[in-house]
Amino acid sequence: MPGIDESLLEAMRLPGARGASLVDWISGLALGAVGEAPGGDWEATAAETAELARHVAESGSLSAGGAQAAAEPGKAPEVEDLIATTADAYHLLRFVSTPFDSTVFLHLWLGRHDGNLALARIRLAGMAERLVLG
Amino acid sequence: MTGATATWTAYETTSAALGALAAEGATGALSGERGIVYLSAGRVVHAESAFTPDLGALLTRSGAVAPDGWWDAVDRGGAQHRVGHRLVDSGRLAAGALEVCHLGALFDAAYFVLAHDTRAHRFRPGAAHWLGAVRSVPVDAVVRESGRRRALLDRIWPDSAVDTAPLARVPGAGGADLPVRRVRTLTQVDGVRTAAQIASALACRTYHTLVELRRLAAAGLVAPAPAPAPPRTRAPDPGGGGWQDPDTALLRRLRDALEAL
Repeated sequence: MPGIDESLLEAMRLPGARGASLVDWISGLALGAVGEAPGGDWEATAAETAELARHVAESGSLSAGGAQAAAEPGKAPEVEDLIATTADAYHLLRFVSTPFDSTVFLHLWLGRHDGNLALARIRLAGMAERLVLG
Repeated sequence: MTGATATWTAYETTSAALGALAAEGATGALSGERGIVYLSAGRVVHAESAFTPDLGALLTRSGAVAPDGWWDAVDRGGAQHRVGHRLVDSGRLAAGALEVCHLGALFDAAYFVLAHDTRAHRFRPGAAHWLGAVRSVPVDAVVRESGRRRALLDRIWPDSAVDTAPLARVPGAGGADLPVRRVRTLTQVDGVRTAAQIASALACRTYHTLVELRRLAAAGLVAPAPAPAPPRTRAPDPGGGGWQDPDTALLRRLRDALEAL
């Protein structure tokens, strides 16, 4: 059963992976990080990406139908993932659903030249599930 | 390291004492006014505070682990300081889930210990928590994170009374179209309970509840409950006034004015 570090190291085995982290989208804390930090500082990256993720997680428009989830603690927002692309990279943020109160997502930074976004999206979804369900 | 851990007493604040203990590579439990931080070889391995739900409350009240299963792990693993391992080995909780919940509880409690950063009360060398080793975090990362969390709250709404006072809904205020977590928090505001009690009722980390409550306060939906009327026998203030609680309407106007600049 993978812990946080094993999950992040597994993400780093994806083609083109440059850095991976697990971030709390309310506090902006990086619970774990491996590889290179985008911008050079994991704490700053976590705080910034958390703010972005929070806006998306709390968006009424993007999580249409999300009112159904209202009563369950720790249930992930209806939004599954966010993708940002730059000239040379992909950033993939995957929300993690837990059976207890948590507000975390996996952040994978992929080089655009050798990264495969579609593959990474599928694999990161599986990692997010195994991280909390074993 | 005989006698080395005596030096923590020289420091005025809990954070400075933690820094000194970390530099010594100390193992033990440092108690402050609002909770306890557990160190192992100079790193933070756990923290507890009366203001925050502990790992057991977070796991059992959310339904992630059945109460029987939790207590079975405590009974079988407590004496050997292996409760965390027991939960995972017995298949009740995934390893990653334990780590995520544990770090959530650790940083939550540490925030409250360090938010009131007075002189530490006591250090028990060698003391270990019954939960056992899950993950450890450097002391400076915990201290830095607590400071960052405090600044984040103040950016949302600079009235720390929201964190400790009984809270009430503002009469006549709306509340439609709020995000799910904020709605759940708002429904627990009843004029009596404090943020820590609301967090406990929701089986949520208290800091994360504070974030929602400060956002609700900023939106004008929640305010500290009016204090009970002062006793009539109180002598009139000769200074004619004196210090008053910060008025949230005034704070709101100030914020609006600053944003309009």
